Amino acid sequence: MADLAISIKSVTKRFASHTAVRALSLDVPRGAVYGLLGPNGAGKTTTIRMLLNIIRPDEGTILVLDSDNAARDVLDRVGYLPEERGLYRKMQVKRLLRFLGELKGVRSRDLAYRIDRWLERMDLKTPAKDWGEARIDELSRGMQQKVQFIGTLLHDPELVILDEPFSGLDPINAQAMKDTVVELKRDGKTIIFSTHLMDNAERLCDSVCIIARGEKVLDGRVATVKAEHGGRHVALAVESGDTDTLGSVLASGQLVKRVDDSNRYFELELADGADPQELLRQVVASGARVLRFELVQPSLHQIFLQRVGASDIEEGITGHG
Amino acid sequence: MGKILVVAKREYLERVRSRWFLLSTFLGPVLLLTVIILPAYLAIRSQSAETASNVIVLDVTGTDLGRRVMSEIIGSPMNDTSVAVVRSVTAQALAEAESTATHDVMSRKYQGYLVLDSASMQGRGARYAGRNASTLPDMERIEGAVRQSVLMMRMQNAGLDAERVKALSDVRIRLATERITDAGRGGSGRFSVAFAFTIAFLLYTSILLYGQSILRGVIEEKTTRVAEVVVASVSPDAMLGGKVIGVGGVGLTQVGIWAASSMLLLRFREPLMERLGMPVVPFAMPSMTLGTGLVLLLFFVLGFTFYSSLFAAVGAMVTNDQDAQQAATPVMLLAVFSIIFLQPVMLNPTGPLAQVVSWLPFSAPIIMPARLSLISISRLEVGFVLFGSALSCVAAVWLAARIYRVGILMYGKKPSLAELGRWIRQSR
Repeated sequence: MADLAISIKSVTKRFASHTAVRALSLDVPRGAVYGLLGPNGAGKTTTIRMLLNIIRPDEGTILVLDSDNAARDVLDRVGYLPEERGLYRKMQVKRLLRFLGELKGVRSRDLAYRIDRWLERMDLKTPAKDWGEARIDELSRGMQQKVQFIGTLLHDPELVILDEPFSGLDPINAQAMKDTVVELKRDGKTIIFSTHLMDNAERLCDSVCIIARGEKVLDGRVATVKAEHGGRHVALAVESGDTDTLGSVLASGQLVKRVDDSNRYFELELADGADPQELLRQVVASGARVLRFELVQPSLHQIFLQRVGASDIEEGITGHG
Repeated sequence: MGKILVVAKREYLERVRSRWFLLSTFLGPVLLLTVIILPAYLAIRSQSAETASNVIVLDVTGTDLGRRVMSEIIGSPMNDTSVAVVRSVTAQALAEAESTATHDVMSRKYQGYLVLDSASMQGRGARYAGRNASTLPDMERIEGAVRQSVLMMRMQNAGLDAERVKALSDVRIRLATERITDAGRGGSGRFSVAFAFTIAFLLYTSILLYGQSILRGVIEEKTTRVAEVVVASVSPDAMLGGKVIGVGGVGLTQVGIWAASSMLLLRFREPLMERLGMPVVPFAMPSMTLGTGLVLLLFFVLGFTFYSSLFAAVGAMVTNDQDAQQAATPVMLLAVFSIIFLQPVMLNPTGPLAQVVSWLPFSAPIIMPARLSLISISRLEVGFVLFGSALSCVAAVWLAARIYRVGILMYGKKPSLAELGRWIRQSR
């Protein structure tokens, strides 16, 4: 058990009108980057809140870093970045960080040093300007996010939980966030993040868990998950202008079960028993000029579509972010 | 436990450091003085001012009553340089004379005019119209002058010598008041009323001001989602507790500063008043024992905890200021209800109304201290009311905590009463 950062066993949480999480079990190995994937309303945030003991499950047990998560001080070893970010607007940056550090039980005399190092590392403290002395509402949005991020990591947590860390970030900050996740992993931390952006998850995660409607759809190492769903997917690219002629071929239910149409690029899932060779023949026969035809492992996005189904993805799910 | 203090420390320091705290700490007493002292001071000053004597007397009686009244008003026999005017008119010409006088007042030549007629002669009444009609000292002075003049005229008509009438009727009584309680005599009665009022008002305003401050704080934490970061480290109950302790500490600090500075002021008030050229009126502080002080402090703490936890719960229920105003109304009403009953209670601090409102959980912390500084109440009753307040305080905190821990993570529209009931029943 010692190699698990988190162990959730058959956890259920009901609210007045609906069940947010149903009989969810999952294990997160220590040192892993773990993705919690699912459409909006799937129960990701509820799960994260239960992990942090913000809300209690109705049934089931949760172990965080080998302790019951209601145990004293165990959450002091966890860092949390909520989905919607915000800070006390009128507070001075240093005082705010000191407050967040004290909340996590960091000793007072260590705090000043740690805060200075972090501000320097995030370019918020330079010889020219020390933003630590400024008030939060004097900072730009990007700087505020940096401060929040410092607040999450200031107490050097073993486990870092990020709820939708990439939402609302511009490409530069999103890149910085990705770099930081990788850095944290190198330092031996465990990182759990929730996202509905499959591309990020696919690139970053060692393991994933896909949930929908409060239930686990699948979980495991990304490589394993992809291998299990492999062999029936085709990547197809054609010259622009030739896509119209393809229509009837791809629409035939005999060969193709599902199409993700990105205009010039298609990711296809073959119908049961369909021969990819036959598909290629028909594509060529349709007159389209083929640039690429390859049997591939499906992307997480494809697996997600396949397993969760279209009915759940209308709101909020996007494959590319 | 340590984390409650971390939250309390933040709430305390952020507020005490704010400009608002400095301003309200220094301006609070100034405002209070303005409200209580200034009208009294102005009233004293205006007695020597000319407003009361700068009037027209319309005398319809056909006697010299008008001249007598005027002499009485200005405090000396009339001479030609006097600004005062007495116009003898007939009953038929009165209407016209009044409209002329009205124009004189409107053009600011005079403050107002007084009509003396047969009713005045019979001692039934006189009419006055003017700018200072609602200035109580002026009206008392004019009324007194008419009464005195009619009296003197009647006595002279009855054959008494004018000088003798004057000597006999010159009676000016001022009532010196002193309070007697079960513990004995002590302090000026009026001053202890003022003191009791001040205590009740101080409690009321600090409860409302700091309650609102907590309310705004909770809404800020909700809208900025800071609440989520905090409850990932401490339980919502501890967060609420820390908030109430921290903000309560700010209130106590402020009241403490006010109490200390009033004591200093009282100690040096005689040289100070001499400097300002005001007559030094000796008065005795209502005697306050350490025990009474402690009980007052307890009531402040209980009242503050009761109201501020409810305000925090309201803050947790809403996401914007408009909803907050609406949702806070019931809590505000409880406080306003208490202060509305203050005046009747002060007039009859031993009556049944006073008894009832000092037992009700929400008004006790405001009314009881006022009654305590006015009359002496048995220790048993004080103990019981304190106990009752403490119980209702526990109930309020419990209720607030149930609402707070659900509400702090809920966004969107204000919950209905049914939903609120579910929140309270719901476990975390």
